[in-house]
Amino acid sequence: MPVGYSIYVERPSYLHKRIDPRTKLFALCTSFVLALLFNNPAYLGILLAAVIAIGLWARLPLKSFRAYLLFALWFLILGVVIWPFYIHQGSVVLQISGVQFTSDGLLFGLAMGLRVALMVTAAGVWMMSTSPQHITLGLLRLGLPYKAGMVMSSTIRFVPLINAERATIIEAQRARGLDLKRGNPFQRALRYVAVIGPMLVRTLDMAQSLALAMEARAFGARPNRTMITEIRLTRVDWYIVIGCALLIAAAIALRVLGIGVLVRGYL
Amino acid sequence: MGEPVVRVDGLTFRYPTSDQILCGINLEINRGEFVGITGPSGAGKTTLCMCLKGLIPHVIGGTIRGRIIVQGMNTRKTEPSILAESVAMVFQDPETQIVGLTVEEDLAFGPENLMRPASEIRDAIPRVLHTVGLTGYEQRETYRLSGGQKQRIAIASALMMEPQVLILDEPTSELDPLGKDEVFQVVQRLREEHQVTIIMVEHEVEQLANVADRIIQIDRGRIVADAPPREFFHNAELFRRTVGERLPQVAELLLALEAEEFVDPVDFTPYEEEAIALLDRLLLRKRD
Amino acid sequence: MVEPEVAIDVNEVSYTYEPDMPLALDHVSLQIHKGDFLALLGQNGAGKTTLAKTFNGLLRPTSGSVSVGGLDIRNATVSSLAARVGYCYQNPDHQIFNRTVSMEAAFGPHNLGLPPNEVSARVDHALQLVGLADKKDAYPFLLGKGERQKLAVASVLAMGSSILVVDEPTTGLDIQGIRSIMTLLRQWNQSEERTIVIITHDLRIVAEYIPRTVVMAQGKIVADGPTRSILSDGAALATAGLKPPQITRVAQRLNHHGVPPDVMTVDEMLEYLHNAFSGSEDARSSLPGRSF
Repeated sequence: MPVGYSIYVERPSYLHKRIDPRTKLFALCTSFVLALLFNNPAYLGILLAAVIAIGLWARLPLKSFRAYLLFALWFLILGVVIWPFYIHQGSVVLQISGVQFTSDGLLFGLAMGLRVALMVTAAGVWMMSTSPQHITLGLLRLGLPYKAGMVMSSTIRFVPLINAERATIIEAQRARGLDLKRGNPFQRALRYVAVIGPMLVRTLDMAQSLALAMEARAFGARPNRTMITEIRLTRVDWYIVIGCALLIAAAIALRVLGIGVLVRGYL
Repeated sequence: MGEPVVRVDGLTFRYPTSDQILCGINLEINRGEFVGITGPSGAGKTTLCMCLKGLIPHVIGGTIRGRIIVQGMNTRKTEPSILAESVAMVFQDPETQIVGLTVEEDLAFGPENLMRPASEIRDAIPRVLHTVGLTGYEQRETYRLSGGQKQRIAIASALMMEPQVLILDEPTSELDPLGKDEVFQVVQRLREEHQVTIIMVEHEVEQLANVADRIIQIDRGRIVADAPPREFFHNAELFRRTVGERLPQVAELLLALEAEEFVDPVDFTPYEEEAIALLDRLLLRKRD
Repeated sequence: MVEPEVAIDVNEVSYTYEPDMPLALDHVSLQIHKGDFLALLGQNGAGKTTLAKTFNGLLRPTSGSVSVGGLDIRNATVSSLAARVGYCYQNPDHQIFNRTVSMEAAFGPHNLGLPPNEVSARVDHALQLVGLADKKDAYPFLLGKGERQKLAVASVLAMGSSILVVDEPTTGLDIQGIRSIMTLLRQWNQSEERTIVIITHDLRIVAEYIPRTVVMAQGKIVADGPTRSILSDGAALATAGLKPPQITRVAQRLNHHGVPPDVMTVDEMLEYLHNAFSGSEDARSSLPGRSF
């Protein structure tokens, strides 16, 4: 049974095929900066919608966003519950045993949840539309040393294998009567040694085999490496980069002017 | 004839935490030969491969003595990256020797490390894929390949280095029968169509007999037999059901028949077809 | 004649790893009787391991049912089934994690809740059977591959389950290793009356040691019967991408001389030829009976 290796989803879209991974990385960073510069839920909501729209334009399946949004939902609930303890701006909407929940407090909590959703979804769109090879290649072209790039690719290549080993070990030990469900958390954690022990051995074993195989093929022999895959920055890439830079500048200006900021004094 | 492509003189080796693994290996291999290596587990077969490849002593530590010359280079004194252009190796585990996420990426890995020009690499890829019977597989994700396919890609990646010597260390032991056949077909093709010198450690003696020019048995760090398959499996003293590999069943059969004088030693063969022909003749004679 | 008790009953079992993937098991039915010693053959992906994992509940069928000793596995946890079905994985490094050999072998029986003296009795017995008794206090990671394999087998034997599943017992072993493990398993089956299922690619050991053979291909059982009939049926084996052992192939090619087509081992062939070459009248009759 094959073991999957990345979040990348192959699609014949413009975003996948024509836009350089470095550009996409810059766009991702832009979205993070924008997420941090606004704390008004309306603005963040619009940005989130824009990111999802880009993802849909890249022909990513709608249900792939579900995981990210569900993840963010936790933060949203947490935010709406906790932030009102700190933010007392605005009219009181709720009062529970002496604690006052104001409208702005709740909205700020919502904004924090949307911020997480925005960042996580943007990262998701980036990973789903850029193959691991391209991500690594982009970073290498940006100056990442090739050995570090190899660490990244190897990780992507081997994490699923290690996961598969873990699953096999758990099966093998369960077949010997290991019960990981019984007992209190402390007892269960102790029993996990039966899984972690073999995992460490297997992982070290695999790492050693990999290292030998790489040495056998002269990895590290030269200060640099040829790369047969090519990526190139085109005019469209530069337009996007400039566009993102302008967005950042505009957002900073808006922030300074207090627009898109629900609560001053908080990020 | 010329210089042998591999020459080993008085090789001994011990790992840091163990006893002597190789206890004096002397060996000569000529260009283009296909040498099979058999022997019980722990005999030193893998260690010998590592020495020939130069991984010992450069990557793996231990006490090494003796000389190994491959393609005119002394493995103990030559950089492994330079050796890598002459000797390539395929390991036992299909999974951990594949580095690339796609077939193309894995095939390019070796030559990329040696900074060969991108165009040269791209041209070589379809040729090498054709040799291993996987034409068109460039963009396939490596995790989706079967065991046999993975090992064939490993062979292909080794061939991308354009080595003079190809070492395969038990390449089929993790594979199912189909995968084993696939690998043997590839080495058979390499033997017939290319000039590569092949060294293959194997337990599948029946198939090894068909492809090897010569088989070496290693036991407790020493070479105890070295002969073409016919002679090798004829050595009853070596095999009389005590040590090492199982024999090809036809060899076992003919040795026993020879012991009872039903078969002439000169007619001995480890090959299935020849054995059938021989027995056919003998049974025909008996009928009359 | 009393019907032998059914140890494992597989009834129209189907299994799929993921909803839109092809069936890993396709309406498989199989009955394994108490005391059976059977080999499960097939290419990788044919379903052998998937099927075997339903025996101890590691995988639950998506349809159909599996009963072990009359107990439907749906009503049992994996740990309760571990008492009845011992499963020995192919790679011992997927199991070994203790400081000493005896502690490692004790893991299984300990998990079954057996009292300490019972556990050590079983451990000692199991280690003795596999030939590791003198390494009781050795550090498992320092043992060679072959010895770690023996330890894995001992660990499962120590659980004392009446049914044993072993995945690839002979991979990477030399002739002595193969002989010792297969002799041990044969003994475990005969004198200790255990039911044993071996998953393997090695047709030679099947021909020599294992009386019953089940062949799988693409999630289905394509052959099931006495090893002698199955391994000599080239056509049935071919549907699973397998070939009979070399000696069987040779015998079949010499069939026109009267050589029986179901020769399983070199010894059998020798007996026939010995008689044929000595001019014995019995040369063309059936071979001296074997246990299967």
